[in-house]
Amino acid sequence: MGRQIIHRLVISFPALIGVLFLCFVMMQVAPADPAQIIAGPDAKQETIDAIRLELGLDRPIIVQFIEYIGRVIQGDLGRSIISNKAVSEELAQTIGPTLELMVGGLAMAIPLGIMLGTFAAVKRGTLIDRAIMAISVAGVSMPIFFIGLLLIQYVGFKWDLLPFTGRNGPFWAGGFTSMILPCLTLGSVLIGPIARLTRTAVLEVLGADFVRTARAKGLRERTVIIGHALRNALIPVVTLIGLQAAYLLGGAVVTETMFSWPGVGRLAVGAIISSDFPTAQGAIMILALAFLLINLLVDVFYVYLDPRMQRG
Amino acid sequence: MSTTINAAPAAPATASSEMSRPSVLRRIMRDRVAGAAAIILTVVVVAALFAEWIAPYDPYAINLLNVMAPPGGDHLLGTDSNGRDILSRLIYGTRNTLMLGLVGVIFGGLLGGLLGILAAFYKPLDGWIMRLVDVLLAFPAILIGLAVAAIAGAGMTAVLIALVVATIPDVARVARGAAIGVMEQEFMEAGRALGVSDFTLIWRYLTLNCISTIFVFLTLRFGQIILIGSALSFLGMGAQPPTAELGMMAAQGRDFLFMAPHIATVPSLAIFVIVLCANLLGDAIRDVLDPRLQQ
Repeated sequence: MGRQIIHRLVISFPALIGVLFLCFVMMQVAPADPAQIIAGPDAKQETIDAIRLELGLDRPIIVQFIEYIGRVIQGDLGRSIISNKAVSEELAQTIGPTLELMVGGLAMAIPLGIMLGTFAAVKRGTLIDRAIMAISVAGVSMPIFFIGLLLIQYVGFKWDLLPFTGRNGPFWAGGFTSMILPCLTLGSVLIGPIARLTRTAVLEVLGADFVRTARAKGLRERTVIIGHALRNALIPVVTLIGLQAAYLLGGAVVTETMFSWPGVGRLAVGAIISSDFPTAQGAIMILALAFLLINLLVDVFYVYLDPRMQRG
Repeated sequence: MSTTINAAPAAPATASSEMSRPSVLRRIMRDRVAGAAAIILTVVVVAALFAEWIAPYDPYAINLLNVMAPPGGDHLLGTDSNGRDILSRLIYGTRNTLMLGLVGVIFGGLLGGLLGILAAFYKPLDGWIMRLVDVLLAFPAILIGLAVAAIAGAGMTAVLIALVVATIPDVARVARGAAIGVMEQEFMEAGRALGVSDFTLIWRYLTLNCISTIFVFLTLRFGQIILIGSALSFLGMGAQPPTAELGMMAAQGRDFLFMAPHIATVPSLAIFVIVLCANLLGDAIRDVLDPRLQQ
């Protein structure tokens, strides 16, 4: 298990360097001077010159890149042009809400998707099956902001059931209700694909010998489906969640913007619109790193679910 | 030399007969849902192409005396916060949204397909190209859009670049997979033995045999590309006012959601219908063209 994780880490390394390099290039091609950005908007010319010398902006690009990685490791991402706060500080404040939103979205989508998919597989060919599959195709085709708009308009505004703007603190401290609509919006993107794949995987497994054996042993149908079929069908579903991480992340950016959720995505969008370049760059880098991390976690979980992978 | 040229068409023959149009179209239309999707999509595309003749009003004509009019009456889908006719803006907006999707799919498909096929054909390039693909895959499409918008400024160009870049890695993987399968075929070896040039081998032997796989993948991707493009526009990274684009129209309507919900709902619903039809049609095309499913 440990060796597998190290192997995955090694595989992720070029992608990690690639992400850092692209963020570094962003800084180079941007219409702003990096020394000016780090010094802040009100800095004097001497300060900027000193920073330029200190940063070694006259040195070869590869040396600069290595130094950039060093600064990133130390958490030095410059200062926001708008708020004059350290970018790392802004990111530290916003990463929590973003993680909360993503975990909440997954916590809604995974059980619901797996339940719908399993139900559709068990009721294969019936009206229920077709209805669930139609809903899942519709879900895959719906722009995430449309779902958000509908939830805000009806559940939030007309029926006045749940708050739809901002975050009332962490979910354990009274913020739970403000989490529901954003998480539901974000989770809705994933329910369709998860349900579809679970259905296929369960159908495939239901025809397998070990399921027939389980039935022949006289196990209850529920035990056969949940204990035998579903556990094996979950392997491709976990992979799918990894593949959907891109949608989860993109969805989080849109959801945060719609619900004024104080996360990294909203920070990035706001920074780009107000030309706050250091903040935008830091936020994009954190989101890309989060994406790499999600994929890594999925790989690790995959090994845990499928013991054959440990030997392979 | 003439023998090599004559020998070449033998390889791609399977691909071209598989894609012969009348039979494929007939097979797709046999599926009622896909047929309906194809008809709706055709109507949408025709409306977008002939927007100038079909749109009842000028999509940019502001009328502050008739703002946020509900659907019905003179304006079938109502008017927006500037009194502009929503139906006309919808028709023009669909043109821009479809264009985003098409450019993403075509250019991303060409570049990704080229990379994938080159990776399969030239073994020394394989590692480099696939590392590049891995790095590109580490950037979800929305992030690419945000990054491009941060550097070059928000606008349709930023979204187009993001969509093309986001399409490249997935297509490259699919194309490489398909091309590696073709590389193992005997006709490739025969081509080499006959002294066929690399260009002919890559184009006539390899690419033409991979094209249906890449095409099927791109039709399935088209809907997703439109969703990503409209999400970027919704975030304000894409088309800028007053340009009509569906995602941006939905974003503008969001500010008036409680007073006039139709301003945001109509363009959102239009995106949903377009993507749904594209997905259903993509599924049907895959069922017809994917040789593995036919077996």
